[in-house]
Amino acid sequence: MSTIIELGDVKKHYMLGTTKVEALRGVSFQITKGEFTAIAGPSGSGKSTILNMVGCIDNPTSGRVIIGGDDVSALSDKRLTKYRRSTISFIFQSFNLIPVLNVYENIELPLLLEKGMNEAERKAHVMQLIEEVGLVDRMKNKPSELSGGQRQRVAIARALVTRPLVVLADEPTANLDSVTGAKILELMEDLNRRQGTTFLFSTHDHTIMDKARRVISIHDGMIAGDNVKSVGEAV
Amino acid sequence: MRDLFKPAAIRIAMRSILRRKTRMLLIGSLVTIGTFLIVFGGTFASSAQSESKKAIVSYFTGDLELYSNRSREIPSPFSFNTPLPVVEDSRKIETWLDSNPDVESFVSIGQNYGLISTVKDGAKIDLPILFYAVDTARYQKTFDNLKVTTGQYFGSEGSPSSQGVLLSEMQKKAYRDKYGVTLEPGQKVTLLSLTGGGSVNAVPSQILGYFEPKHYSNVFNYINFMDMRTYSSLFNFTGIATGSLPATMDDAFAATSDDAIFGLADTAAFDKLDVASLAKEELTGSTQIAIKLKDSGRAEAFLKDVEAQGFQVKSIPWNKASSFFASVADILQAVIYGATFLIFLIVVFILMNTLIINILERTGEIGTLRAIGADKSFVSAIFLWESILLNLFAAVVGISLSLLLIASFGSGGVQLPDIVAQYLVGGGPLNLVISPVPFLTGVGLVLVVSFLATLYPIRVAVDISPLKAMSGV
Repeated sequence: MSTIIELGDVKKHYMLGTTKVEALRGVSFQITKGEFTAIAGPSGSGKSTILNMVGCIDNPTSGRVIIGGDDVSALSDKRLTKYRRSTISFIFQSFNLIPVLNVYENIELPLLLEKGMNEAERKAHVMQLIEEVGLVDRMKNKPSELSGGQRQRVAIARALVTRPLVVLADEPTANLDSVTGAKILELMEDLNRRQGTTFLFSTHDHTIMDKARRVISIHDGMIAGDNVKSVGEAV
Repeated sequence: MRDLFKPAAIRIAMRSILRRKTRMLLIGSLVTIGTFLIVFGGTFASSAQSESKKAIVSYFTGDLELYSNRSREIPSPFSFNTPLPVVEDSRKIETWLDSNPDVESFVSIGQNYGLISTVKDGAKIDLPILFYAVDTARYQKTFDNLKVTTGQYFGSEGSPSSQGVLLSEMQKKAYRDKYGVTLEPGQKVTLLSLTGGGSVNAVPSQILGYFEPKHYSNVFNYINFMDMRTYSSLFNFTGIATGSLPATMDDAFAATSDDAIFGLADTAAFDKLDVASLAKEELTGSTQIAIKLKDSGRAEAFLKDVEAQGFQVKSIPWNKASSFFASVADILQAVIYGATFLIFLIVVFILMNTLIINILERTGEIGTLRAIGADKSFVSAIFLWESILLNLFAAVVGISLSLLLIASFGSGGVQLPDIVAQYLVGGGPLNLVISPVPFLTGVGLVLVVSFLATLYPIRVAVDISPLKAMSGV
């Protein structure tokens, strides 16, 4: 399996007033294509910071972040934006749908930011994803007219629409009840299995960690454990 | 701004406006008022400008006026205190104007002042009078601005009413209020003047009647009219044509020595002088010649023709000859544009503030857009379109309201208070003429406002990090 994410001794410091906060203190790991990996740890441990680095929305203070063979740690804002558009996708804890766009339009939006797909192709692709996340009857609804679970399904479809190399999910079930959360996780797992899309998600929920096939544990900005489960071990 | 025309940016912008209706309605209302002011006000002002020119040329000054090149002042109905020098070659000029195909009509005017001497309660009383001495038929043909209320206008040459004084109703009131005198039409009076030589001249004359000016009453209420023949007598512009004198006498008159002049009495030529054979010459006392052209656009070319003739005159266009009247409409336009500028300045600041508030409320949304790969130019496009769409819509409403109001006045024009109308267009209603300039100015200004008001907010928006997406939408 090819490595698609590699972090090498990544450190991240920032200032909180006059206090220096060390969010990451030398994190290194590799993710191979098709993994379904959780980054686990308590609040403030640094797991979201790791997702931000991998997601090209934050730069490390030092160290390397390599995505698909490219070192993205020193790229310009423009190049990073292009990377986010074509290679990486996000699923956010608060869904982060554009409130004025309906389900169809929210899912379609990333495709409209980049040329390459004609209208017919685009429509077919978006419709296929809407079907996969089970929202055909809701496709004209605005986010405010959807339940939390439905919103997260839209967010998942939006994340997959550009066929990214890796999907990053920041506590994707944190704002959902346990039943809905489990369903969302099942959906992600299913898509990972069927499409081979790599998922990297942060969580501190043990029931979700159980579903992951690999769990990287973070504590105080450092890797405290990296547990790869054998086939069948993940629930 | 490569993302400016991306449909997704326009769609998000349009729906974001609708999502914040109340706030946007407030800004839109201001833009609507501003556009209305510039379109209706601009149409009003530009109509006033063109109607003002038409009225001044038609009833006041003509397209241009010629006046003596010895004059230090320009001709103006407000410069009676220092009478203008006489146009020396006015006869020659009149002949030339008569045959000039560019000229529609013209009239020579002698602008001066004098006294009307009459009797009140058995005692002599002198009443001051400012007047235009005119070729009465030509004046009527050129300006037709006097409505006779009592008595009559100057009759044709040779008739008993061809000579005399026509007073304004305002003058009548002034004589009555200030001097307790009412001059009746047909009343015989004596006119008095102070001539250039320093002597006082008196000529018998009559009051022909009273008039009210049809236009520019705030000017012509204070000006009275006199025929040119009476004026020539009053100011010694009548005499013997030197060409009809025997050569010796002509030489003697031309001499500067008193002895040579008085020596004439002893000459044989003087004894043989046949007075009946001498020709009477009427010099003109015109201080200015008002000229109306068939095509006002030819004014500049016409002035070159005048210069080429070598007349001893200077010229002044209609807008200068009418003193401040021509600039009333310009001032009105400046006031309207100034007020509009202020409104739009306020709009820029309110719009800018509102957009910044919108942006601060939408940091999560902007962060999300950036996180899913939207370039800064895409974010800029959203806010620029929000501003443009809102303002253009408000501008369309403003323009529509203006058009409705303009249409509601119809062909009757806008009825203005008389005092305003007299200053603006010489009286009467103002016909509104739609021209593209106020409309284009309105739309142009709205686009400029949209752009200016968005510059800073866009800067704030594009500086929002995709990390803000983590805080949710």
